[in-house]
Amino acid sequence: MTNLDHGKFTRMTTVFHSLLAMDVFFLFFTGYAIMFNDELWWMLTLMGGSGSVAALHRVFGVGLLALITFWALMMVTTDTGRSNFSEVMPTPDDAKAFVQDIQFVLGNAEERHPNARQFAGGTADEIPLLSYVGKGVIFIFAVELALLSISGLLIWSKTGLMQYFATQTAAIAFVVFHGLLGVIMLMGVMFHIFEHGFHPAFFPVETKAFIPRSMIPEHHEDGDEGTGIERLQLSSSWASASNLAGAATVIGIVSVLTASIYDTGYPVSLELLVGGGPTNLLLTVGVNIGMLVLFFGMVLSVYGNLVRMRWEQQMAEEEADGAEAEAAD
Amino acid sequence: MSNSTAENGASSYSGTVVAVNAVIAVAVALGAVWVVNGFDVFYERLNRVSPTIEGGGIGTAFAQGNDIGWLVFIVEAIHAIDVLMGLFILVMVFVHWGAFRRLAGRMRQPGESRAMPDGGSPAQGAGADGGDTGAENGGDTR
Repeated sequence: MTNLDHGKFTRMTTVFHSLLAMDVFFLFFTGYAIMFNDELWWMLTLMGGSGSVAALHRVFGVGLLALITFWALMMVTTDTGRSNFSEVMPTPDDAKAFVQDIQFVLGNAEERHPNARQFAGGTADEIPLLSYVGKGVIFIFAVELALLSISGLLIWSKTGLMQYFATQTAAIAFVVFHGLLGVIMLMGVMFHIFEHGFHPAFFPVETKAFIPRSMIPEHHEDGDEGTGIERLQLSSSWASASNLAGAATVIGIVSVLTASIYDTGYPVSLELLVGGGPTNLLLTVGVNIGMLVLFFGMVLSVYGNLVRMRWEQQMAEEEADGAEAEAAD
Repeated sequence: MSNSTAENGASSYSGTVVAVNAVIAVAVALGAVWVVNGFDVFYERLNRVSPTIEGGGIGTAFAQGNDIGWLVFIVEAIHAIDVLMGLFILVMVFVHWGAFRRLAGRMRQPGESRAMPDGGSPAQGAGADGGDTGAENGGDTR
């Protein structure tokens, strides 16, 4: 048994995850302030209007290009990276884990499948590096980020695009494609925040995304049956917090999906109808709740790093105390 | 302490490789932006091929609408993919929400006393507490 529940990845991976998260959050805030300007007009104004927001979006876009190039290089040029390819590949067990998760919710299965288990507890030896959701996230985000980068670079220079396609709407079609593509990621990130912020054993955040495995001491306790989750005490705020966040996540996903359907032709639609969607109060509230979920995710990411820094401090203090005690002996 | 864990299964990455790859990545990112900036042309130099509305010259798109077939197709396709992925992601949210509620039901509830001694079996602990966790283990919240 190991302490996989507290630290699981290398320092490179945890730092990369934090940087990628920050960059993507800012890309969401700037990008969707433009695309959902009907609902997020205040965000556009807050960041200095459309010109300033577009400039910021490009700055974070360059950051994203650098980050994904770096990651691709790390996966190809290092032994660790190459050996991790096999960890990412989906297996039949992942499909079983998905089915078993549904069975577990319906009450037809007693445990989550090892490939789905976020809290390993005493069963850490059975748990793969990535759950079936983790593998899905890597695959979907890899495809998404690649397509977003390519379409983002294509629309970098609108007149450059017009050169090739000879119409402004063609250039705008690429912008629309770029924005609609990001919606999948927007919804996925909302789910990701809920999944890793509101597991009852880890609430309010899973530190394994932020604390590198090298900083986690290893314990070997024998004789444990199962995960041992029944020995953990539930946080008193979990029930209300998870219901609130679950509802906000669902409202946010449904709202950005609905808004994206209205915003198909932004800013020049197929039907020559300029502008986003209808002025709809419900949709405005919903999309803003979605942004709130994202903002909360950003806060959790910062909090995760704060926990790591405190843990680092505590480890250093304990080490210093240990050295002092040894010197006193 | 933190010894013996880093190299166990998940080996770490060498600092040199990280640094070199980071420099290459930044160079590639800036290079890509430099290349696409080279596509930029001053709008007055754009060739007005067929400068009529029927001919689809630059600027006529506002009158004509977007009629490049494959562009319309990819935009509509991505709408469909958005909806499918959105529904799938909603299913995943509900599955996890439900699973979390069930797992939470198995945990010691807030305010329950910490009667279970370290190393004591969970079942005994629950019994000493008043023993309602047995019911929660079986048919619990969902």
